[in-house]
Amino acid sequence: MTVATQRQGGGGGGYVDRGGGGSSSLADVVELILDRGLVIDVFVRVSLVGIEILTVDARIVVASVDTYLRFAEATNRLDLYAKGGKDLPGLVEGMTEGGARGKTSGALDAAVDKVGDMLSSGREEREREEAPRRRPRQTRAREREE
Amino acid sequence: MTAVYVYGLVGADAQLPEDLTGLGPSGKVSTVVHGDVAAIIGDVPPDRPLGTRDDLLAHEAVVDTVAVRTAVLPMRFPAVVEEDGVVDELLAPHHDRFVAALSELAGRVQYTLKGRYEQDVVLREVLQENPEVQQLQAEIRDLPEDATYHQRLRLGELVVGDLEERRDAEAEQLVQQLEPFAVGVVVHNPGQPDDVVNAAFLVEQERAQEFEDAVEQQGERLHGRARLRLLGPLAPYDFVPGDEEQ
Repeated sequence: MTVATQRQGGGGGGYVDRGGGGSSSLADVVELILDRGLVIDVFVRVSLVGIEILTVDARIVVASVDTYLRFAEATNRLDLYAKGGKDLPGLVEGMTEGGARGKTSGALDAAVDKVGDMLSSGREEREREEAPRRRPRQTRAREREE
Repeated sequence: MTAVYVYGLVGADAQLPEDLTGLGPSGKVSTVVHGDVAAIIGDVPPDRPLGTRDDLLAHEAVVDTVAVRTAVLPMRFPAVVEEDGVVDELLAPHHDRFVAALSELAGRVQYTLKGRYEQDVVLREVLQENPEVQQLQAEIRDLPEDATYHQRLRLGELVVGDLEERRDAEAEQLVQQLEPFAVGVVVHNPGQPDDVVNAAFLVEQERAQEFEDAVEQQGERLHGRARLRLLGPLAPYDFVPGDEEQ
């Protein structure tokens, strides 16, 4: 039987994934049918018929140490100045270039200081490892700021 | 004494789709009629416990395939009863209640809407907009994990709390937008911090396309930040009348 699982919503944009009607994942099915649906006293007697039920542990841990650590790790993977950050990449670039050339405007200097303070330690550590050649320049920029 | 598996209940005049495959060894699915109501039944594996992956999938496939065609009251998995009990203990004593429930559900199906944030996109929002998260991340991100266990735990807690606030607002907005197309809504607590929504909608089949279109619009609105997933049409798992009495 062709259940309308693959049917796109109107407009055919395909912004929504579809499932159900026999094409669901096990996780979806477990969540759908366990602890839902009609219960009648008579089924309490299941054990008398000699049927056991394997426990399907569908309990989902909402907030736990593991969850926290997982999201901390995901957050730590993000590099705010690598890409996509609002304006920050530009400011950080401005910090190195502006610092070296000494042409930065006052307003930008202030912003650079703020960003620099906020992010300094980690960034320096990594740059030391990854690009030792740039170190003298970086140091000059720092001295100038101070 | 023979055990019978009961998938759900339908009206006595309901025609089952032909290609249903049950979870028993025969795979057969049939009905037992009593008065105006019928039980969808099949055989039970005699030599093993119920609850395997295939059992769950078969139960869902039978119930949801029937649900597309006719109103069905899904039984809670797993429902096993002695053969004689199908009529004597299940259908006969509860006949009127089942008939009333089925008429209430006639022409209606359930959709379950789930959604998940695009993790990096939303975490970046959190990082940019939450100064406490930003500061802590900057402090510890390049330090060894062993040395920062408690800070990382705290960072995760902050991030999860922020995500949950965001998604609660998001879920509320989604439900508000879709509620007009449904006759009932049940909102569940999404399982994971980056799950956006988990809500069941009872929808008149006549308005199913309208509802699906509305979901698609929401999917488009959230495109790039979150991905919605729509399950259905399904049996009305979340809308079994009288369920709360049990």
